[in-house]
Amino acid sequence: MKRRKDKPDSVSLTIINNALVNICREMGTSMMRTSYSPIFNEALDFSCVIFTAEGEMIGQAEFCPTMIGSAQYAVKWTIEELGLDTFEPGDVVLHNDPYRGQCHMPEHMVLKPVFLDNKLRFFVANIAHIGEIGGIAPGSFAADATEVYQEGLRLPPVKIISRGEHVKDIWKIILSNHRTPKSSWGDLHAMVGSLNVAENRLLSLLQKYSAGYLADASKLLLDYSERWMRAEIAAIPNGVYEAHDCMEDDGIGSNPVWLRLKLIVKDEEIIADWRDSDPQARGPINATFVVTAAATYSAVLHVTDLNIPRNSGCFRPVRVLTEPGSVVNVRHPGASVGGNTETHPHIQNVVVAALSKAVPEKTAAAEGATACNFLFGGIHPETGEYYTNYHFEGCGWGATAEHDGNSVMCPVNGNCRNTPIEVFETKYPFVTLEYSMVKDSAGAGRYRGGMGSYRRLLVTAPEITVSALFDRTRTAAWGLFGGSNGASAKLLVKRRGQTSFGTFAEVFHTASATKFTRVILHEGDEVIIQSPGGGGYGTPGERSITAIEEDIRQGYISREAAKQAYGYKA
Amino acid sequence: MQTKSRVRCGIDTGGTFTDLVAVDEMTGRLSVSKFPSNPKHPGQAIDGVLKEANLSDGSIESVVLGTTLGLNALLERKGSRVLFLTTRGFEDVLFIQRMNRRYHYSFKWMKPSPFVERCDCIGVEERINARGQILTSLCEKELERVAETIGSKLTEYSGESLSIAVCFLFSYLNPAHELLLKAFLSKRYPQIPISLSHIVAPIWREYERSSTVVVDAFVRPILDDYLKDVGATIRKLGRTTRWTIMKSNGGHADAEVVREQPICTVLSGLSGGAIGAKYFGALVNETNLVTLDMGGTSCDVSLIQDGTLSQVSHYEFDWGIPISAPFLDVSSLGAGGGSIAWVDKGGFLKVGPQSAGASPGPACYDQGGTNPTVTDANLVLGRLNAGYFLGGKMKLNAQRAKEAVQQLATRLRLDCAATAQAIVDVAEENMANAIRVISVDRGIDPRNYALVACGGAGPLHACGIAEKVGMHRIVVPLHPGLCSAFGTLIADFKVDKTLSQYFRSTNVSARIVAKVFRTMVESALREVRAEGYQGKPKIERWVSMRYAGQNYEHDVRVEAVAIDTKELRRIFEHFHLLHKRFYGYSIGDEIIELICFKVSIVGKRPQLRLPDLPRGTPKGPKLKREVYLPGKGFAAYPIYNRDTLITGSILKGPAILEEKDSTIFLHPGHKLSVNRKGVITITL
Repeated sequence: MKRRKDKPDSVSLTIINNALVNICREMGTSMMRTSYSPIFNEALDFSCVIFTAEGEMIGQAEFCPTMIGSAQYAVKWTIEELGLDTFEPGDVVLHNDPYRGQCHMPEHMVLKPVFLDNKLRFFVANIAHIGEIGGIAPGSFAADATEVYQEGLRLPPVKIISRGEHVKDIWKIILSNHRTPKSSWGDLHAMVGSLNVAENRLLSLLQKYSAGYLADASKLLLDYSERWMRAEIAAIPNGVYEAHDCMEDDGIGSNPVWLRLKLIVKDEEIIADWRDSDPQARGPINATFVVTAAATYSAVLHVTDLNIPRNSGCFRPVRVLTEPGSVVNVRHPGASVGGNTETHPHIQNVVVAALSKAVPEKTAAAEGATACNFLFGGIHPETGEYYTNYHFEGCGWGATAEHDGNSVMCPVNGNCRNTPIEVFETKYPFVTLEYSMVKDSAGAGRYRGGMGSYRRLLVTAPEITVSALFDRTRTAAWGLFGGSNGASAKLLVKRRGQTSFGTFAEVFHTASATKFTRVILHEGDEVIIQSPGGGGYGTPGERSITAIEEDIRQGYISREAAKQAYGYKA
Repeated sequence: MQTKSRVRCGIDTGGTFTDLVAVDEMTGRLSVSKFPSNPKHPGQAIDGVLKEANLSDGSIESVVLGTTLGLNALLERKGSRVLFLTTRGFEDVLFIQRMNRRYHYSFKWMKPSPFVERCDCIGVEERINARGQILTSLCEKELERVAETIGSKLTEYSGESLSIAVCFLFSYLNPAHELLLKAFLSKRYPQIPISLSHIVAPIWREYERSSTVVVDAFVRPILDDYLKDVGATIRKLGRTTRWTIMKSNGGHADAEVVREQPICTVLSGLSGGAIGAKYFGALVNETNLVTLDMGGTSCDVSLIQDGTLSQVSHYEFDWGIPISAPFLDVSSLGAGGGSIAWVDKGGFLKVGPQSAGASPGPACYDQGGTNPTVTDANLVLGRLNAGYFLGGKMKLNAQRAKEAVQQLATRLRLDCAATAQAIVDVAEENMANAIRVISVDRGIDPRNYALVACGGAGPLHACGIAEKVGMHRIVVPLHPGLCSAFGTLIADFKVDKTLSQYFRSTNVSARIVAKVFRTMVESALREVRAEGYQGKPKIERWVSMRYAGQNYEHDVRVEAVAIDTKELRRIFEHFHLLHKRFYGYSIGDEIIELICFKVSIVGKRPQLRLPDLPRGTPKGPKLKREVYLPGKGFAAYPIYNRDTLITGSILKGPAILEEKDSTIFLHPGHKLSVNRKGVITITL
């Protein structure tokens, strides 16, 4: 084993950076293979990170972009709250408190200190979405929650493993408050297992390079990312750029809730000022501060170089200002479960809209920005077992200055995969009657948006309890520079024997047509979930005839719509 | 005419060269040759290598052919127009894909296009449910309507090569509708080939199965043309010459068999290299190996554990376009001699994945390339011999290499040699990482493995890579540049079957499991016979299992010949054990799900007898050359000709060994020895 005394050069830095990212990826692989919930293993809704002892994020492999914010803050705040002295070798801390740096309650972080020669050198952490954490709604996605207490079990940073030993009392509390404790047990162990993988790899890296050399390298890597990010921001014209959008309702009332941004680009820095946004909503669409920060970072990352190592350094030149107690910085005991799935992409889209005024060629029109969260659970008629599932959809993405938007994509805050029909129907008592792209749902433009998806489900069990949390059913993904809006989302239901579909408000009298919990469907009932299309970029008149004709030939647009949107005549 | 010879021959058709390795089983004589490939007439290059090796006289008993044509057809998207028939309502499955994206923060990324146009995706009124029961029958009227639709497509696309791919939901549970449709259509349109998803890939997940069956249909005509062209060449050799085609799973099969399963040959070229490497490892008694095959544009790595190459059932040659078929677990990264070195915006040195390719190639090829590549760096450092590249067939221009590297040196504020050294370091670190990914990711410590260095550039970097990974032994095969052809020469017969069938430990009996395996083994045996294997094959069976609720499976091997209640219980217990070993915990009372059944049948080929090296006294180095070493600068070090080594030769680094198709760079302190067959072992 060599002990390095010299200062790291740029080649060594590249190598160390790769090694850190690879450790995070290994954590992810271990996690994916052992976890229970499809949200982990099919959807990959988790992130793995390495921190310096000072709480700076130095390496990460985010499998789900939304967590880049919580990764940044939750670890730092946890270290500050508990104090470095609290950590001992073999400890694992668990934490899902949205007011202490998590994106929403289902997101759980496990954190482990890495010691060498009795000195704390690094932290490894893993943040992941636990599928069921109790609360009023099965699947812990309470679309009509008004307080955090309805959303499930909240845990401040607590040790679940102390010096290598399970803290049994804490485990008992957790497992007796979740509806599917076996899954929680398996998922939490998958998370802890991944920390052990990372700890071992970090230890061999420490031995190879020596702790001092790695600490130097960490500092240089943070500075390197900061330097590069500053150079990228310097290339964006200075100015104050404004944009806004709204959540169509909060699930309790029917009024829109506004997100208002003043984006200030000054030389090498960006300030995102959200302080004009609406006050905290009663329903669960509030974003935690880290969600707002993550969504802002995500937008900035979209218009800067892909290769900047994503450590804390690259976020130093970006500041996010929010008013505590507002829709972009929820205060206790406000509800926030939908803030991470619905409000997050809206915030990201607003930042992109502001940036489009500064760097139009690097931006895109709005995407669908709703996950169309659809939750269900019950007793499976064939196994007699209790199940829950968190189902979501992809949507159309916005067009860019260079090409059409992608169709049916996970909204920007996640990067989750869909569940195959054959897996879905094997596990849950539904028959899928159709899963397709929606014709004419793309916003027209020189480049058109992506298409949304259409799914029609038939209930085949005596009873299924369903909940939903959608947005953009009354609003739409906007076009840019003359491009048209995409089509809105839809959530419709039809009772057995009925001939036509209606909204849940019409059929079941829910307060909101798209944000509700615990509606009971019966065998033979049908549900239609249609996700929104993306906005177009540039005026439709600029679209080439060849592109319009190709869309007609492939069935993406009907002749009538082509005539209406583009004035196309055969 | 040599009546006493019995020549076995392996030929690898690569993108630029076609390689041949042949062994006369009577005399042990080994011949090798190389000829430029001709993608339009692959038979011509095969004729070329045979002539060059003086093997066109009918003395050949058997030929095994590996080819990258299938893969190239996919990469270049030059295949058949595919009509995709699927359950109505699900025509967009290939376009929706899995909804995820390759990069988190990019507006530029576009979803990959499937190998079919959306307007050629045709919905068929039929439906089978998750229990395999028919919900909507496929009726005569619907068959007639589908046939009509295809009729009009035929008119629309007259003159194009057409094939049909069918994927119905849950066909892996109940294939009745796929079979019915094929029977009907092949009567109506006997000229159009039809691929069925439950035959090509009987697995669950409709996107992965659809994608696979479409790729199968897409490459069908390419493979067909290849087989026709090559067949004509081989038949000229004489009636008795047997010829078979290398499959992606590392086995090989009769032409008539692979013609029906094009999907099985798409990675035919990659598997040859790994098999060759495994063979040479065994010759020096190494059974735990990491193989590294580094050529001009890419570097393939694989892992051999206890003499076994691991196998995967899923491959993505293009991000997001999966192919589910048995493949040897070979991963490919864009790091070869032609990989270009560059400085990113933050000032870091990067190497690849962009490559200068074969044309214009590295700057030193003097064909107009100006970007510094790994080959240029090696030339600057004195590790390559400008006058002996490809045995002197190609002259390298050292001045051009220096100019190219100097551009970077200026930007990095280093001198030219230090820059070249940094390029080599970064490239070697990339490859070291690839080795860690295939080993450490799976809980295997590569430091206990030997590295087999193949390809023209593998032996040049092996010492550096092994040092970085912490490995202690390196094996350099005979003719490292021809390792793929060597692999095809020694490949066994091999049939792999996978079947998705869902059971739970609570509702499955030993009788059911036995029945599933019986059917699978019978069909696999029929296949291996049809492929041309005569002997008694080795049969292996696995069940893929997981805890109810988990999503990824572990394979547990079936050990008893007859599966009874006791064996089934042992299988379940073994699963708990495996889970504990891999992830540190098991759940004894949890229900276990049986997801998938696998059968593998291997028909061993007779061992190859290689000639011994001639005895005699070793020759010294042919010359000394200025070579750069980090920290020491340039100094004269000995250069050997590998052909002059004899059994038992021992060399100490620093030294360079040159041969026609490769160069070995022996680092200071490393020791090299040669065994009786000429295989080199390096000890670090």
